[in-house]
Amino acid sequence: MKKLTLAAAALCLALGGTVARAQDAGALLDLLVKKKLISDQEAEEVRGELVKEAATTSAGKWKLSTPITELELYGDVRLRYEYRGGRLPSNNSGDFGQDHLNDWYERHRERYRLRVGLRGTLADDWFFGLRLETSASNRSTNVTFGGESSGGPFAKGDDGIFVGQAYFGYTGFPDFKFTGGRMPQPLITTSMLWDDDINPEGLAQQWKHTFTFDIGGGGGEAVQSYSKGGYSKDGKGVVAAAASEPFKLKLDLFVNTAQYVYDDENPENPIGPNPTVGSGNGNQTGQQIPTTDAFMLAWQAGARLTFPNSVYIQVAPTLYNYTGNGDSFNIHYVGDPNTNQIGINSLLVFDVPAEIGWKLWDMPMRIFGEFADNIEGHDRAQAAGHPDHTGQHYAWMLGGAIGQLKAKHDWEIRAWYQYAGQFALDPNLVDSDIFDSRVNEKGIAVKAGYMVADAISLNLTWAYSWRINGSLGTGGNGDIPINPLDQYQIFQADCSVKF
Amino acid sequence: MKFKYLALSLALLVAGIAGAHADRLVIKGSDTLGAKLVPQLAEQFKAQHPGTTFDIAAEGSTTGIAAIIDGTAQIGMSSRRAKTSEVGAASSKGKHMKPTIVAFDGIGVIVNSANPIKSLTKKQVEQIFTGEVTDWSAVGGSGGKISVYTRNTSSGTYSDFKELAMKKRDYASGSQKMAGNEQIAAEVGKNPNGVGYVGMAYLKAGGIKAMPIDGSVPTAKSVQAHSYPYWRPTFYYTDGDPSGLAKEFVDFTVGPGGQRIVAQVGFVPIK
Repeated sequence: MKKLTLAAAALCLALGGTVARAQDAGALLDLLVKKKLISDQEAEEVRGELVKEAATTSAGKWKLSTPITELELYGDVRLRYEYRGGRLPSNNSGDFGQDHLNDWYERHRERYRLRVGLRGTLADDWFFGLRLETSASNRSTNVTFGGESSGGPFAKGDDGIFVGQAYFGYTGFPDFKFTGGRMPQPLITTSMLWDDDINPEGLAQQWKHTFTFDIGGGGGEAVQSYSKGGYSKDGKGVVAAAASEPFKLKLDLFVNTAQYVYDDENPENPIGPNPTVGSGNGNQTGQQIPTTDAFMLAWQAGARLTFPNSVYIQVAPTLYNYTGNGDSFNIHYVGDPNTNQIGINSLLVFDVPAEIGWKLWDMPMRIFGEFADNIEGHDRAQAAGHPDHTGQHYAWMLGGAIGQLKAKHDWEIRAWYQYAGQFALDPNLVDSDIFDSRVNEKGIAVKAGYMVADAISLNLTWAYSWRINGSLGTGGNGDIPINPLDQYQIFQADCSVKF
Repeated sequence: MKFKYLALSLALLVAGIAGAHADRLVIKGSDTLGAKLVPQLAEQFKAQHPGTTFDIAAEGSTTGIAAIIDGTAQIGMSSRRAKTSEVGAASSKGKHMKPTIVAFDGIGVIVNSANPIKSLTKKQVEQIFTGEVTDWSAVGGSGGKISVYTRNTSSGTYSDFKELAMKKRDYASGSQKMAGNEQIAAEVGKNPNGVGYVGMAYLKAGGIKAMPIDGSVPTAKSVQAHSYPYWRPTFYYTDGDPSGLAKEFVDFTVGPGGQRIVAQVGFVPIK
């Protein structure tokens, strides 16, 4: 009777599950056979049924290569309504001789985005990731409904799928993670410097070590971090979440370095002399252009100190420097209308993002801020022909947030003030929404979000900005094709599904 | 009149074919089972069932399972379990892969009898067959480049050994693939640096010796107790419950008479 009961239990368990359950049941069957509760033949017949079930279910039809030890399918779909408007200067000061002063250029767009990815771990401490995205843009994954200029209504001309991420790496050394490819941003950043849609290409090295301290007794215990399990869910090299009991105090020290291939020069050695700067580039016209690849190097070292009750402080000083010019960014940046908006000359940016967080009445709150100084900002201003505006070499932001967006019925409100000087930042990397990819802008931004369900969120974003220096253009190429962008406003309403 | 003879001849021919088919058993699949065990079982069965004929093709477990899916054999011999993809393919054709364990086997790791090495660990076996270790000195031997002999990819033993001993990793790129157990035993017997694996029925071949694995040797007792790490069941696969002559032969195989032969050939009886 006992045998029969156990065998029936095994059968029920085995038949009741998926492929993973089948594997578990296999071990259970082995145990039952070993204990002589069922025969090998009986176990085999149950196994056969399990395999048959697996083979005829959708999960069982997926076949993964042997080195894959874990695989996750993830992604999101977002619907967005967006209003975006920019105003030309309102008077003759700093209007660069343009017509239609005080006029607004406005766009209303309905958009969607799709991102779908696979990431996983491989045998022997390797990992990999792949993400496909709509839009070929480096700073956006959006597609505008009805955005095609040909092909009739509902044409698919701009609904392409592109490789957003393709990377792999190694976590075999304690505390270290090495990544190569087109990867999720491994650095701790904010939208002031980096649009979060950017997936940099190159190499990254990360080290993180966690120390825990008993406030009462002193002494420390080292805890390993970037193990296989330490690879964060969203693929980013963020620092660990709040300390868990029983630790009283936790200190995360981290170093992130990256070598990004910013722009490939082709060819590095042309037939004949190097190319020269074309007309329309001021005193640079006719100058020979160096033919070298452009690399961006990032050096970040920081700490996060977590106290009891989820109070934490994090600071991540970072230095960004550029080597070479590439073939797309080799003209000196100016930022004024009808001049170069993308040059990467004289950029050596020291950036300090910082954050303080705590919980009050079980509600997460935080204050965040960032200060960035382009150490070579003076040279950048002078090269742009503005030696009298060399003070435009710094940027900063300060804001606060309350709430979080993790589970159903969660909500969050975030607001901040941002100031970005004309020669402070790389305009090719700054956020494309808040201030329309521009520098020489200051203003406020507010975001509010609500989780309708665990996978569905509603988000509203509003930002308004003003030109900082009225005698300079607003450097960078945004969606609003006017320069200077004397005033700017954006409103976005999003509904997102995450899976 | 001519028409009558023709009709009679045709009727006799049809009756003859039908009769021959009724007493003919087509068995395909595993070389491990089909090279020795099943032919001997067939001989004994024929002695008890005069007029029965067997068509046995031992070209690897994969071919046996494929034969059940295609309906070209009544019994598929296999030294491994049917894969999910094979079971799925069978289902899509309305077939149900029914396994019947006919014997247990231990896959013995063999080296040349002149090899001074006394035993291996599971880790060392994995390293040897994946090519991580290429010289005998790395596993306690006296030195010399290891020659790895494996079965070919249609063999159930090939995939069983990969799963049991190699964590499903790939074989060493320089490994040499052999058609059957006897060929592996013969090659290892000739090559002082050779290493391979064979079913228990082939461990008595000349010039080779079986390695204890983590101290456990492949014996009837250790395989039956499932304590030898590379033990495995061997199967007859049929389309659903066997019937007719196939059922009689399956019943004979798992019955006392058949299991005696199983033991005589060198496999381990199921009871």
